[in-house]
Amino acid sequence: MVNRMIMENLLHRPIRTAVSVLAVAIEVGMVMLVVGLTQGLVHDTARRVEGVGAEILVQPPSASFLFGLSQAPMPIKIGDRLAELPRVAGVAPTLFVFNSVKTLAVIYGIDLQSFNRVSGGFVYHEGGPFGGPYDILVDDIYAKANHVRLGQNLNLVNHEFRVAGIVEHGKGSRLFIPLSTAEDLQGVQDKASIFWVKCTDPGYIEDVTDAIHRLLPKYQVTSIKEYMTMMTSNNLPGLEYFNTAMIGIAVVLGFLVIFLSMYTTITERTREIGILKSLGASKGYIIAAILREAWLLTIVGVLAGYGGAEIARKAILAAFPTLTIELTVEWRLYAAALALAGSLLGAFYPALRAAQLDPVDALAYE
Amino acid sequence: MNSTAILERVGSRKPAFASTRVEPIIATSNLRKVYRVGKVEVPALRGVDLVVQEGEFVAIIGPSGCGKSTLLHVLGGLTQPTSGKVLVDGNDFSSMTDADRTKFRRHKIGFVFQRFNLLPTLTARHNIQLAQHIQGNGFNPHRFQSVVEMLGIQEKLNHKPYALSGGEQQRVAIARAVICEPKLLLADEPTGNLDTENSQIVLNMMRALNRTFRQTILMITHNPEAAAVADRIVRMRDGRVVSD
Repeated sequence: MVNRMIMENLLHRPIRTAVSVLAVAIEVGMVMLVVGLTQGLVHDTARRVEGVGAEILVQPPSASFLFGLSQAPMPIKIGDRLAELPRVAGVAPTLFVFNSVKTLAVIYGIDLQSFNRVSGGFVYHEGGPFGGPYDILVDDIYAKANHVRLGQNLNLVNHEFRVAGIVEHGKGSRLFIPLSTAEDLQGVQDKASIFWVKCTDPGYIEDVTDAIHRLLPKYQVTSIKEYMTMMTSNNLPGLEYFNTAMIGIAVVLGFLVIFLSMYTTITERTREIGILKSLGASKGYIIAAILREAWLLTIVGVLAGYGGAEIARKAILAAFPTLTIELTVEWRLYAAALALAGSLLGAFYPALRAAQLDPVDALAYE
Repeated sequence: MNSTAILERVGSRKPAFASTRVEPIIATSNLRKVYRVGKVEVPALRGVDLVVQEGEFVAIIGPSGCGKSTLLHVLGGLTQPTSGKVLVDGNDFSSMTDADRTKFRRHKIGFVFQRFNLLPTLTARHNIQLAQHIQGNGFNPHRFQSVVEMLGIQEKLNHKPYALSGGEQQRVAIARAVICEPKLLLADEPTGNLDTENSQIVLNMMRALNRTFRQTILMITHNPEAAAVADRIVRMRDGRVVSD
């Protein structure tokens, strides 16, 4: 009976019901998309770094695990010393070049031969390796997102590059240029930002890591497994705060809309609450009825939010194919829990106020 | 026996929501209710003494502002008296908590209002069933059927209040009030919003309820013709009973 009363109330005021559901849907969708986008970006970057095929990363002492922030190159001859270590199958130097022309991207300046040795080589969808210093390899996702064709020129870092090949994605960056060109662009010689180290067998990672530590005591030596655990949004400077702020805004939005919706509901239905009280409805009965109404609105809003987030994800990816948005089950549940908790809080005061109405005053309400 | 004597006899008894066949269903003594409007005290009841026996149909009449509705609200447990004694079915409202009065009202009292007070979003059927749901004893189909047949609203059960005439709405409201077999039916100007024909229908039905089910009814009205349907007429003026 209470459910019927709630349903009839919701259907009786369709605009308010729709606005409340929409607000909760926006709350849920916003939480899922913000978290999904940040997690997607972080995890996609991590997966691509893992895709290089190296088992150990060697970086300068002050470098960040965020490659775009690492501008402290190391002498390239370190790579020769690393390659001489036992159980090392290959070492590939890479110099990062940060591009901010039109698009933000970290371009890998690579020595193709050593990079291929570590990574197993590129899979070419079209074209082939570098033929000249200002040739560039782009991955298929970048090519699709930016409508890049083989042989066309790309303006990056204020220089024109000819697209020599379109390669399968997943090997670190989406853009690759020759190491010597990267050095020219950075104004350095025989330098690298990172060394990718591949072991003869994954079982030797610890031994090789120890050996590198002994060889280069001040340098950062990170196994790929360790790197993957570091690549979470919680470890990225500011990102956690950004996520928390966005989630907070979304929850406050949902809370306020439910609060206002239920508060106006109570005001409009003062007389009806008086009727319930005259029939002997207890305070608990009235509180439960109002909270159930808020929860029903929220549940519908959560489901609409799930649908909205999926639609928004597809729309965003259609417009920006290089992005990754991860809508995980875990965050679906978190978003639903946040929305339900917010609506419970938002509805509680109006429910309490309704329960405490004087029945005589409520029945006299016009 | 006057109300003071009755209250002295039963006043020490513990409230039990129990039927008190030998006692009156209503007994008030020096019942007072004062409303505060800002810093001004407005006395609505100034010492009401009233005894109503079970099965009686009592009409309370008096001019506007004489305290009829306040008396009804106090007797229905909707508001607490300022002072004095009020026993309803042996339970002393003046010493009961709001929660206890609510529980008592749920099980023992039915209300009929001048403005019908049906929930506008529910059908007639669901308005009636809501009372049973709140009481918590579940749906009693036999009681439901007999009440709706008696009140002649079988054909209107699936209509919402806006699709019913005033007389039909009031009959639904009466059905809702009596569906849980209350000990006491309190009617606040039940014909106040009805035309003569519908007023007569509603009054006849209340009379029939009283006679068929021995339903105790306390009806307030300012209409002497409506009051004439009752067994007994109590007149109020300035917050007091002036004739009985």
